[in-house]
Amino acid sequence: CSDFLDYEPKGLLSSENIKSASSAEALATAAYAGIGNDEMIGPMTSMWVYGSVRSDDAYKGGGGVSDVAEIDFYEHYNLTRPDLGSMHPFTWENFYKAISRANAALASMNALTEAEFPLKQTRTAEMRFLRGHSHFMLKMLFKNIPYITENLTSEEILKTSNVELTNDQLWDKIAEDFQFAVDNLPARQSQIGRANKMAAAAYLAKLRLYQAYEQDDTHRVTNINKTRLQEVVTLTQQVIASGQYSLQPDFAENFIAETENGPESIFAIQYSINDGTAVGRLSYVTGLNYPHGAPQYGCCGFHQPSQNLANAYKTGADGLPLFETYNDKNVDFANETVDPRVDHTIGIDGHPYKYDATKPFSNSWIRDPGVYGFFHTMKDQQLATSASYHKEGPFIGSSKNIDILRYDDVLLMQAEAYIELGQQALALPLINQIRRRAANSTGRLKKTDGTFASKYNIKEYASAGWTQDYARKALQWERRLEFATESPRFFDLVRWGIAEKTLNAYLEKEKARRPFLSTARFTAGRDEYLPIPQREISFTKGLYKQNPGF
Amino acid sequence: QNVPVSGTIKATDGEILPGVSILEKGTTNGAVSDAAGKYSISVNPAATLVFSSVGMVAKELPVGNQSTVDVTLEYDQKNLNEVVVVGYTSSKREDLTGAIAIVDMAPLKNISSGNPMQALQGRVPGLYIEKTGTPSGANSRILIRGANTLGNTDPLYIIDGIPTKRPEVFQSLNPNSIESVQVLKDASASSIYGSRASNGVIIVTTKNGANADGKITIDFNTSVSAQSEKYARFKMLNAVDRGRALWQASVNDGVNPEDGYGALYQFDWNKDFANPVLNGVTVQPLVGGNANMPAGNTDWQKELYKTGIVTNNELTISGGTKTSSLQINLGYYKNTGMLRYTDYDKLSGRINALTSAFNGKLKIGANMQVASSNETLASTDIGGAATTGLAVTLAPTIPVYAKDGSWGGGIGSGYSDRNNPLHMQEINKWDNTHRLTLFGNVFAEIEPVKNLFLRTSLGMDNAGYYFKNIEQSFEEGSFGRSNNSLTIDQNRYLSATWSNTVRYNFDLGEHHFKLLGGIEAIKNDLNFEIARKEGFAQQTEDYFVLNAGTGNANITGTGSGSRLLSQFARIDYGFSDRYLAAVTIRRDGSSRFGKENAYGIFPAASVGWRIDREAFMQDLKSVSSLKLRAGVGRVGNQEIGDLARFGLFDTRYGSRRSQFPDGHNSFFDQFYNIGTAYDLNGANTGNLPSGIVSIQGANPNLKWETTDEANFGLDFGFFNGSIQGSFDYFTRKTSDILITPPIASAVGEGQLKVVNGAQKSNNGFEFSVGYYARPKGDFTYNVMAGMSRFRDKITVLPEEVRAAYPGNVTQTILGHSQFDLFGYKTDGLFQNQQEVDAAPTQVGAGPGRIRYVDSNGDGRIDDLDRVFFGTTLPAFEYNLKIEAFYKNFDLSVFGSGVAGRSGFDAYTFYNNFIRGRENSGPGVFDAWTPQNSGSRIPALSLSDANNETRASDYFNVNTSYFKLRNVQLGYAIGSKAIEKIKLQRLRVYVMAENLFLIKSREFAGPDPERVDVNAIPIPRTITVGLNVSF
Repeated sequence: CSDFLDYEPKGLLSSENIKSASSAEALATAAYAGIGNDEMIGPMTSMWVYGSVRSDDAYKGGGGVSDVAEIDFYEHYNLTRPDLGSMHPFTWENFYKAISRANAALASMNALTEAEFPLKQTRTAEMRFLRGHSHFMLKMLFKNIPYITENLTSEEILKTSNVELTNDQLWDKIAEDFQFAVDNLPARQSQIGRANKMAAAAYLAKLRLYQAYEQDDTHRVTNINKTRLQEVVTLTQQVIASGQYSLQPDFAENFIAETENGPESIFAIQYSINDGTAVGRLSYVTGLNYPHGAPQYGCCGFHQPSQNLANAYKTGADGLPLFETYNDKNVDFANETVDPRVDHTIGIDGHPYKYDATKPFSNSWIRDPGVYGFFHTMKDQQLATSASYHKEGPFIGSSKNIDILRYDDVLLMQAEAYIELGQQALALPLINQIRRRAANSTGRLKKTDGTFASKYNIKEYASAGWTQDYARKALQWERRLEFATESPRFFDLVRWGIAEKTLNAYLEKEKARRPFLSTARFTAGRDEYLPIPQREISFTKGLYKQNPGF
Repeated sequence: QNVPVSGTIKATDGEILPGVSILEKGTTNGAVSDAAGKYSISVNPAATLVFSSVGMVAKELPVGNQSTVDVTLEYDQKNLNEVVVVGYTSSKREDLTGAIAIVDMAPLKNISSGNPMQALQGRVPGLYIEKTGTPSGANSRILIRGANTLGNTDPLYIIDGIPTKRPEVFQSLNPNSIESVQVLKDASASSIYGSRASNGVIIVTTKNGANADGKITIDFNTSVSAQSEKYARFKMLNAVDRGRALWQASVNDGVNPEDGYGALYQFDWNKDFANPVLNGVTVQPLVGGNANMPAGNTDWQKELYKTGIVTNNELTISGGTKTSSLQINLGYYKNTGMLRYTDYDKLSGRINALTSAFNGKLKIGANMQVASSNETLASTDIGGAATTGLAVTLAPTIPVYAKDGSWGGGIGSGYSDRNNPLHMQEINKWDNTHRLTLFGNVFAEIEPVKNLFLRTSLGMDNAGYYFKNIEQSFEEGSFGRSNNSLTIDQNRYLSATWSNTVRYNFDLGEHHFKLLGGIEAIKNDLNFEIARKEGFAQQTEDYFVLNAGTGNANITGTGSGSRLLSQFARIDYGFSDRYLAAVTIRRDGSSRFGKENAYGIFPAASVGWRIDREAFMQDLKSVSSLKLRAGVGRVGNQEIGDLARFGLFDTRYGSRRSQFPDGHNSFFDQFYNIGTAYDLNGANTGNLPSGIVSIQGANPNLKWETTDEANFGLDFGFFNGSIQGSFDYFTRKTSDILITPPIASAVGEGQLKVVNGAQKSNNGFEFSVGYYARPKGDFTYNVMAGMSRFRDKITVLPEEVRAAYPGNVTQTILGHSQFDLFGYKTDGLFQNQQEVDAAPTQVGAGPGRIRYVDSNGDGRIDDLDRVFFGTTLPAFEYNLKIEAFYKNFDLSVFGSGVAGRSGFDAYTFYNNFIRGRENSGPGVFDAWTPQNSGSRIPALSLSDANNETRASDYFNVNTSYFKLRNVQLGYAIGSKAIEKIKLQRLRVYVMAENLFLIKSREFAGPDPERVDVNAIPIPRTITVGLNVSF
């Protein structure tokens, strides 16, 4: 009768039966899935809430300030409140889930020999790349984070503080994973979704660029480290010289599903549709961000560009940005000239929406213009006619990949390093390469009558007057327009140490246009980073230290 | 040859009894006693006379050769001698030593919900039931003596000896097939059920053939009810008034109303923010400028609800001989639903059969119930908003129908992202939940030696669940669905119970012993599959089968189970009928716990003292019964899921978080991938490489949750039982409560584990008393009242778990119930800027804004000012029932209420505030302005900078109430009239439920029982019915 009480789980595995090479491979696959397993209220892939809405690029959008009020709190830098249960606490949780998946795979691989698992070296390097990615993202968002490896037991993890390492030590720790990946990954992988040596080099370059701008405990940039910048140059050179990557001929091809995994994409989070899952492994993190009033979309009108961003696309007669005067008055698309990237980025009344001239953007598509104005973002959306598009309930998912590292970013990272090294002349052709591609990216922007909705005028920078200060300004502008609403903006501002200055100046002007911003204010020494989630501090009984100011 | 017989009828206390009915048995020949208690009748000398009267125990006397038959009738002392099932055995009511409530079955017979559990609401002290207006009558919460754990609080049901934790089984019983219902409240009574008894036990026995005379009795009950929620509607604004309110809120904020609402309204105003004057508001004629969508002025509640019609028919056929009996019961219940396109029907049948041989030494029987129900539930829109809530909140300018007859919906700016709720109900009308329950047992009992009974019983609880969810594609305003799909979600549950008991009763002089021993094995298995397919070329009900779909397909399914193996024993001891004692012990082994702790032992003991039997009480004639009871016991709880102790890895190919419990947010979790498959090939489609992931940490030391309880009780009766009642006090402590504490995220995915971590304590009392009046002529009446109280609190809770409960860093849930409310206290509104400046710093403060209380006195309003300010479970529950009988009329009035309860007032939430995309109530026109400074409604604002929707005592108010739940008037048509049509009994009745209620002035909504706007309101019901026997 004692057998009567024996009940074994159905269809599940215990830790005893996951010790084979095939299990290691399966854990590694799950680790890749882990970096894409995010949610609308806990983003890991698109950082539109943390990087775009929190910057001068965009507003929350949607139906008034109380519609997904959490996002409004980021927009207003109002993150000291106790009722903030979703968003960054879930982002923290989701990245540590991803790290634990990579660590579970690493632990399993460590116990296998090369003979048992011939791909051990490559897969180990991939797992360290994935772990590096998650730690990097957490560091960019939260600054002070616990660093977790596969060698720690659960008990040891609970004793690992978020301030165990200094800022610089933490960067170096994360860099070790990318360095291991650079040293051990093949230049190319037969499966395009896997990380390769170039992706690792590009990521390590990105990390070293962030690390170069040394911060003190209150997030002030105290020094720009030339050694780190030199590493950025070396690493990006390795990627460029490989010849594996190039700019897409048309800027648009970075933002449409049909041309994903193209020559510009260095590492992307892969999404899929019609793949045997219930509705596809789709990206929903921008699922709120489609035009609300358009019947083919119908939800939910979030993520609207700021007036300031629209104005930033203005160009002068010389085809260059109006660095000083761009924001004096609002852009007039009928009469002023603009950078063509505006029509890749911003939905404007009467302009083709997402390269479809037959269904131009309409002011009636805007959900709450009284609060957020009449612009809408476009980059993170796909046409309803795209094979990648799927509407589920009110929200829209897409199998369009989300790029983590793109070649245009590599070029601009190298340009930035050169400029800060005082070698701005070497940066000029890199930035002009970006502008040349932008100038050539008007093929998809025509209206049905064959004319353009905007007057485009974009030129390359001349070498005359290309001083370090000017180059820095041009680089910062170029990054903004190239990646506008894709969310590097806020993190760039923090890295450069100009977040407080830039954002409060932006708010000062913008709140007259958009009264909902009237109480928004960026507090230096606090708002550069997100608060450590309170519950994580509770779960570690106060071992984690809260970031300053919260 | 008939002879005359006469006599006088008195009660045992000498009272003259008029109006007693005298019947010659087996005939329709009868008479009635007069005012002096005298009667005369002419009968066959061989006849037997039956004397019956309301409130008295009926008596049969053979006439013999007597011409005078004087009769003394006993008062009906509410069945002190009735037999009570106490778990594997039975006892006389007067010998009980535990806290057992015997439910009065009469109110269960005629109830419009057809659901016996709803009929119990408010009737049993210590049994707390909350309900909604769902057509199936499913209950939202049932608690016996409060919440003693942090997880599942469902009691254990024992129906004809078969245990189940599924309330549906009890709810699906036909009321007329129920013989008795008892609630085992304290541990000394319930510990015989061991590891599953800590939430209390409800024992139900079904009828098994009463007649032994070979005749067949047929009972037929039928009723029709009309249900309406009109009394519970929220008064909301019409189209034009909403425009006025939006204008006011906009100008208050200094925002041009045309910017936000120009697409909905034309505002004729002076454009002067300093001194705004509104001349008029016109609704824009078209929604979103669409010529096909003329603006409406829709009262969505009126559109969504109709009068629900409930029909309930029940047929019972019973018959038997001295050796065998049979009872067949058939029922059909249908509720057309008040919410349009919802409905529920249930067909149920029961066969109870019993036969015996060898002079009753061998008994064999079977009790079998089949119930089949179909339910179409309230649905949600594509964004997951309940249609019930949308009926309150959706903008009135959206029309129900477009010009071309298609469905109306919001288009363009200014509207919420919600659908037309009537459309959502209509489009989900083919959705169906089908439940099939087979529940019953077969048993045999032999008595090889006198008073030694060996019994074996094999029972099963077999439930099939089949949910068909059709998501049609549609277009409506801006919010349509392009892919249609069919989801079939089905599961099968089988619980088999094999019990074997031995009982032996013997006396040693004045010592009476009843012994019980037994073993029991329980095996539970659940399997489920979910299949989903997209792409149906036609949208007709018959076309939606899985084969017809041509799009994306997805199938998931698994199973789990548990085993329980138990031994138990009970000794009842009585000495000279004055001193009673009972001892029980049970040992349970469960597959849910690891080898270390697989077995748990649950002992209990109780004593009783029949004081009224003592010699010194014999002179005290006014005391007719008095019994003191005391008991202690231990019971357990194992409701943690079948696999809680294991460390597990799963292949979650493409799972979404919503497929598993305890996610982040039930709505957003539908869009949250947690799978292990990944498109490594960049193919974008096709079968994906997939992996495995940890989903649960192991805890081999997991063990039972245990509850220790002490109970003290007093049963009393005075004046020959005309006053009867009982009082019970209990105190209990639950330890090793099973919880799943969250851990730091850095530990990683799938590392949570179930542990024994928390403690709760609980105490309270129950009191019930009844007055059973002596009949006066044709009239008699009874009054019964009860009240109960419990207060539970968490006493131990690991630090890392506390974040999941109300509280903050300075105040924790310790010392409070998980049902307590935590938030800000409010202190009226700020009247002017000086008050704001003088007050503690409060972000968003301003004149006309809610003033929050600086509870910790640190000069600023922040998280640390939140306090515990109320509880959602009542401090007291009470009930009152009056029954009266006059000639052929019967009347019963029943009401119950709760006191000391707080909860969310949804109406204040909508009536007092502007919601930019939702409708408001007329309260917004009484909002604070410098001129209207007496209002407690804050100044209108679109932005809510003061965060006034935060949890506070502004919304969470006193939800105490008293409800007149049931009034019933019946008339039994005289025997002479019905005998011509061969009927034994014909009674017609009318019944009203929820006729009126009394609530706290603080609560603005219509019904304090409806604290969730997404629940269907509890209906007001009028029923007419017929009870027929022949």
